[in-house]
Amino acid sequence: MADAAHRDIPAGRRPALTGDDLAALAGLTGESPALSVRRRAAADRYAAVADPDRVTHLWRFTDPAHLLPEAVQPPPSGAAHAAPHTLGAAARVLMVAGLRPLVATDLKALAAGLVVKPLAEAEEELAALCDRQRAAGAEDGDEEGLFQALNGAAWNTGLYVGVPPGTVLAEPVHVLIDATGGPTLPRLVVDLGEGAQAVVVEEHNGGDAGSRVVAASELHAAAGARLRHVLVQTWGEGVCGHLTARARAGRDADVLTVFASFGGERSKVELATDLAGEGARSEMIGVVMGSGRQRFDHHTRHRHLAGRTWSNIDFKAVADGSARSSYTGLIRIEQDARGSEAFQENRNLLLSDGSRADSIPELEILNQDVGCSHGATVSPVDPAQVFYLQSRGLDPDEALRLIVRGFLEKTLGRLPEDLRERLETLVGTRLAALQGRSS
Amino acid sequence: MSSNGDAVFSCHGLRVFVGDKEIVKGVDLEVRAGEKHALMGPNGSGKSTLASALMGHPGYRVEGEILLGGERVDHLPPHERARRGMFLGFQYPVAVPGVSVANFLRAAVSARRGADVPVREFRQQMQAAFAELQVPKDFVSRYLNDGFSGGEKKRLEILQMLMLTPVFALLDETDSGLDIDALKVVAEGVNKAAGPATGVLMVTHYQRILNYMKPDRVHVFMDGRIVRAGGPELAHELEARGYDWIAREVGLEPAAAAAEGSRS
Repeated sequence: MADAAHRDIPAGRRPALTGDDLAALAGLTGESPALSVRRRAAADRYAAVADPDRVTHLWRFTDPAHLLPEAVQPPPSGAAHAAPHTLGAAARVLMVAGLRPLVATDLKALAAGLVVKPLAEAEEELAALCDRQRAAGAEDGDEEGLFQALNGAAWNTGLYVGVPPGTVLAEPVHVLIDATGGPTLPRLVVDLGEGAQAVVVEEHNGGDAGSRVVAASELHAAAGARLRHVLVQTWGEGVCGHLTARARAGRDADVLTVFASFGGERSKVELATDLAGEGARSEMIGVVMGSGRQRFDHHTRHRHLAGRTWSNIDFKAVADGSARSSYTGLIRIEQDARGSEAFQENRNLLLSDGSRADSIPELEILNQDVGCSHGATVSPVDPAQVFYLQSRGLDPDEALRLIVRGFLEKTLGRLPEDLRERLETLVGTRLAALQGRSS
Repeated sequence: MSSNGDAVFSCHGLRVFVGDKEIVKGVDLEVRAGEKHALMGPNGSGKSTLASALMGHPGYRVEGEILLGGERVDHLPPHERARRGMFLGFQYPVAVPGVSVANFLRAAVSARRGADVPVREFRQQMQAAFAELQVPKDFVSRYLNDGFSGGEKKRLEILQMLMLTPVFALLDETDSGLDIDALKVVAEGVNKAAGPATGVLMVTHYQRILNYMKPDRVHVFMDGRIVRAGGPELAHELEARGYDWIAREVGLEPAAAAAEGSRS
């Protein structure tokens, strides 16, 4: 298997995108004409964009052909979906390919100015966001690849989340994206005004062996805003997909991206945060647990565009069976970013002889007045630890679970309490499946 | 010592191999409830190998019989031996980063009991053990042996021994590298552990701890064998005269008695 070799996507493997397709998608989402203009522009870029270059680190470990849907139209969905409730959330949203998102917004959050609506109906909000971005000097269409262009042209469920300046949401906005029922191309725009604070949970689940997902999220944190974006992937067995999240942090903004990948068969996640304003901070905290034949490929990118910016990445992967986790991470510090600091750590724990992990950190530093560090390790479980725990009565499975929990502890410990509990539950579910080791 | 049915531990014709190399060359031992035994020998004599092999370390091939409370356990994996009441205090306790002492202890106590210990009951038990051994309270939230000093690690081993109520406690050089206060804590722990249901075997290089734990039986271990056994007076004789005279008496070169040289 030439997994790391250069290979073009086979002819005809890229899903076709005709004018009829675009019109059908516009009809499906009920989008406004201005949004259709954006969609057509993305379709032009999709037609022009080159196949991912498998020689670069970004695509070295994953064949894009595995992640592409065969077609862009979702099959007609007859399933009835229960409307979400708002208990414990500022808003809850259910997104399914081809259906108008089901949105329930808490009345207090609504009164505070929270806007959660289908992307197709967010023309004014997007235009205003665009104007603000332009005024802030942000370039458009930043380094768009095949999957980002595909999502822009063929998204079939979309959501806009807007938090007005100064508004602090006490509870999270919870967005559930169900991969069941055909190619799912969700598009999410999160827009935090100056000084706003919000937690947005983007949870991908459901689906089966036929399911393909190409998701893209665009997150904006204006000056002084505080955004926590939680990207959780718990797909069903066999799902393949590509998730992109791109955030932009303005002056003194604080962005936390938490990512947790547990499900599916093959997944690639690209996370990028631009530290665009002076004093901006970004932290990415990630946990991956794979088993069986699962393949995970995570890429992170921190771009320091302004001075006194700070970034940190703490990413831990655990692989069992013949699972494989690949990580590539780029820290780029631009010339104008003096006084910045950037840290990156990736640790991988292998629970079996057949599991594998790759880790490639990259630094591009154009200003020397900065502090940077990165570290990567790939290691098997220490047999001395297992023997010690066994000598205290823990069987090999229990010993392993404790060791894995310990391995993840410091990373999960960096999370706010509520997020930590949620991830620990997910980790616990995965750990319970670790079984059948001989003594 | 004849077996009268209350032997908590015994081994017969025990041989231990690492690859093709025979490290332990036929050992017979019996420890009864309430007894404290000391197994003394020079560094490199195979003492630690014996201790690990008794616990079931997967790196060794073992021949002979090991009995715990009258039942054969030599075919059982380490956790099954532990659940039946064997305890090994490690010479070098292993750090498990990220696992708090409290979580670890609860898992271990639950495993020994064969049922989850209720949280409140466990907390009380743990606090009592901490107080008894004068272990600082902040230990509970520290990660297991991670960044602990040598003395702290050994104290935690003794604390585990007391909480796990073993039938047979095997302590591998738990006294090495300790100051006098820590040494007393270890000895007190051993004295406390040895009781109506528990026997103790202290594996050691030094006589020092024996002043505090007062063993009932002393075994001298050289070149993979017990070459002499006696009462507490034997330990004093070793302190006064060293190991070489015994080596000569049993026909070993002093160098052969400690084949691998000093390790501590």
